[in-house]
Amino acid sequence: MTRRDLLRLLFSLGLLPAAPKLKSESLFQAGPLKGVDFVLRNSPTSRKYLIETMPGGVALLDYNNDGLLDIFLVNGGHVRDPMRSPLSFDRHDPVYWNRLYRQNKDGTFTDVTEQAGLSNAGDVNYGMGVAVGDYDNDGFSDIYVTSFGKNVLYHNNGDGTFTDVTAKAGVAAGGWSASAGFLDYDNDGKLDLFVTRYLDWNVENSKTCGAERPTYCPPGEFPATTNILYHNRADGTFEDVSVPSGIAAKKGHGLGVAFADYDGDGYTDIFVANDAIEQFLFHNNGNGTFTECALDSGAALNENGKMPSGMGVVFQDYDNDGLPDLLITQLPHEPYVVFHNDGRGSFSAQELETGFGVLSGKSSGWGIGLEDFDNDGWKDVFIVQGHVFDNVQMYDSSLRYREPPLVALNRQGHFEKANPGSDLPVAGRGAAFGDLNNDGWMDVVTTSLGERPQLYVNRGGRLHWLTIILRGVRSNRDGYGARVQVNGQVRFATATGSYLSSNDKRLHFGLGSAESADIEIEWPSGIHQALRGVKADQFIVVEESEHL
Amino acid sequence: MIHVLLFASLLLQAQSVESAVPPEAATLLQSGVDAENRNDLDQAITAFRKAADLAPSTGLVFFRLGDAYMKKRDYAEAIPPLKRAAELNPDSLPVHQLLGYALLAEGYASDAIPHLEMVREYGALGIAQLQAGQPAEAVANLQTALAKSPEDPDLLYYLSRAGTLLSSQSLDKLLSAFPATARGHQALGQNYYVVKMFPQAAKEYEQALALRPDLPGLRLELGQVYAASSDWEQAAEQFREETKLQPGNAEAAYRLGDALLQQGKMKEAAEELRRSNLLRPDMPETLYSLGRAEAVSDPTAAEHALGRVIELEKQTFLAGQAYLALAGIHRKQDKTEQAAHEMQEYRRIQALALRPGA
Repeated sequence: MTRRDLLRLLFSLGLLPAAPKLKSESLFQAGPLKGVDFVLRNSPTSRKYLIETMPGGVALLDYNNDGLLDIFLVNGGHVRDPMRSPLSFDRHDPVYWNRLYRQNKDGTFTDVTEQAGLSNAGDVNYGMGVAVGDYDNDGFSDIYVTSFGKNVLYHNNGDGTFTDVTAKAGVAAGGWSASAGFLDYDNDGKLDLFVTRYLDWNVENSKTCGAERPTYCPPGEFPATTNILYHNRADGTFEDVSVPSGIAAKKGHGLGVAFADYDGDGYTDIFVANDAIEQFLFHNNGNGTFTECALDSGAALNENGKMPSGMGVVFQDYDNDGLPDLLITQLPHEPYVVFHNDGRGSFSAQELETGFGVLSGKSSGWGIGLEDFDNDGWKDVFIVQGHVFDNVQMYDSSLRYREPPLVALNRQGHFEKANPGSDLPVAGRGAAFGDLNNDGWMDVVTTSLGERPQLYVNRGGRLHWLTIILRGVRSNRDGYGARVQVNGQVRFATATGSYLSSNDKRLHFGLGSAESADIEIEWPSGIHQALRGVKADQFIVVEESEHL
Repeated sequence: MIHVLLFASLLLQAQSVESAVPPEAATLLQSGVDAENRNDLDQAITAFRKAADLAPSTGLVFFRLGDAYMKKRDYAEAIPPLKRAAELNPDSLPVHQLLGYALLAEGYASDAIPHLEMVREYGALGIAQLQAGQPAEAVANLQTALAKSPEDPDLLYYLSRAGTLLSSQSLDKLLSAFPATARGHQALGQNYYVVKMFPQAAKEYEQALALRPDLPGLRLELGQVYAASSDWEQAAEQFREETKLQPGNAEAAYRLGDALLQQGKMKEAAEELRRSNLLRPDMPETLYSLGRAEAVSDPTAAEHALGRVIELEKQTFLAGQAYLALAGIHRKQDKTEQAAHEMQEYRRIQALALRPGA
């Protein structure tokens, strides 16, 4: 009997919660974040420089360990029209700063950017994304910001301030970086860093497409480039192992990245959402090298056999069979992609069968989350949307530049559209997922070009939940890479996924009507830990046990 | 085109144009011909002009003068002597042929037509008719010319232009004379569809349907508008109505099946695609969609359908897609070697498609 069969049996016996009926009212109350005056300034120009339509990321992290999620927002910069060398994006100007907002106990936010030492983003860096992880295992979350230009690693000093340690750490990258994430690919207990890079683009080779109706050029107009893997040397420095690991063997148009151990061999694998070429699945060989195997594993092309314009990606289990699946957002007229993990290391595209495809035909998706928003035991989807072209209607009048988000509720593996709580159309880009008010119901923060971020507060309900905070000891302190099973559902511990963004690292599970839970954790160290009869509706810290 | 067709046999035939030429004029005529043979066209023209002054009723002299100007590509100067030659020898085919070309080259397309008709120069005649705004006649004559020279790119180009103009004229007439008819709205709908103005296209088709709900093909086209804008549910609805209207229409059944497939309704899609395959067997697109629809519920039937696509298509893009779909089926069945072989075939076909000139 497969896990899926078991779950179906449990469901039929009433041991798993029944899915609630679709409510006409939204799960979310949408609105601005109180105290957040950040505007994502992408600076669109008449030259249609590709960078200006691609930012920007958002991270939900508890930087000061007060138990409340704070928000870090990545800004673009000032793009001159036309751009000239030497490049400057005027990031010294406060309107172009990245911003850190500390959450107060009353749910409002205070801008602490300057006092935290995060105001200097570097004039030559046009901001893109953000990754969060405790790379030095000191108990405080560090921040890595990606850019067109140089990336920056901010070490969290533990006193509310950060220090730019990029030069010492050796993680500046260069070129055009997009999404990034921390993972422990060699299970040595230290978080490594993966950075996707989009294109080999610069002012000199920039071009405008569309002749009489100028617009942004597709990625195929520019050379592909490599992604970067940095190995953590455990002394505050990183080594670029892109070439010896095999990551640099493949050039692509990387935008999104997500991690999970898809074949259960105990090593975290890497999936890169590529724009308009085959997707990349880097299988971790367990010896410091990776083999790209997306095409042979069935995770490179969509169900129509086409190359997705991959933007955002999430690598979690949507059908509760215990295996991580892939959901990928992309451009309109091809459905958002679902690669179902069939086991034995293979995937099959199932966006049509799951109903996911038909929800997305006209939309352009970016940030994506697979979270159990209604706590019914099945992970739902939230996608922030908006087309690449600000003049897309000139090309196809059925499409829109600004779109509301998509929320789809998971009905035992089949997705149904739900009310997102806002029909306000925006040029959405980043999205991060977490429980901002610690009520046990997952919230969302989104970014959109030229606008303030939007908060989607989960209205909550009566069903039960459990949120697990991992504390690695032998494994990395964040517990990234752990496989956590709660009442038959599985999550892979990571803050990485979505688009350019970083999620709440705490692991949230909807329990339905169950008032307690059995927890099983497979730590990256190989330690197996089980907790039985854990009371529902609480945040529980699980420290890695000492013994295998 | 004109240069290509010009002059081929005119000079040989020209000798028969005239009989009696005054001796002095004959000497000048011969001198002109000699100069022409030396490629000294200016000298030839001078000689022919003097001959024409001496023999103003001799058609051959004017013909040779016009011909020399044509060789010099001075079509404007060629026209008067050729017209005079035609007056003097109204039945001479070479004169009319040359005059027709000269007039056409100078943009007097309507004037050229009777001369080209007389000599049955269908290619040049079609071009003249196209330029004179007679696309229907142009299409007919260019097709006649293409029957003799089917690979002539110039003729194909002008035929394409004539076809477009004919279509445009018909549409203009339809829209100006019958704007509120079903066909008028349908034509507008097609125009909007081509330029990807899908909402506007759908509106036109809806208006057409309101006027003639039973007009075959309308719902098929409207369904395609919805499909192009990824409105699969509405597309399926229209295709379904078309299948009711035309139960024997294989395309309508195929499109309905594909729209259902895009909605993830695999069982319904497979039923409709099987029906389409019965109505018109061995359509590769139908079989490919059928294979995908049956991949989960009936892998054997899917294998059969996709295998048939490969038999029919061999090395096309669709054959590659069929290999890819088969690999997915066999991977699920743990038939890894078979899947690996199919992926190899997929890659081979992809490589062929990427080859320069492919």
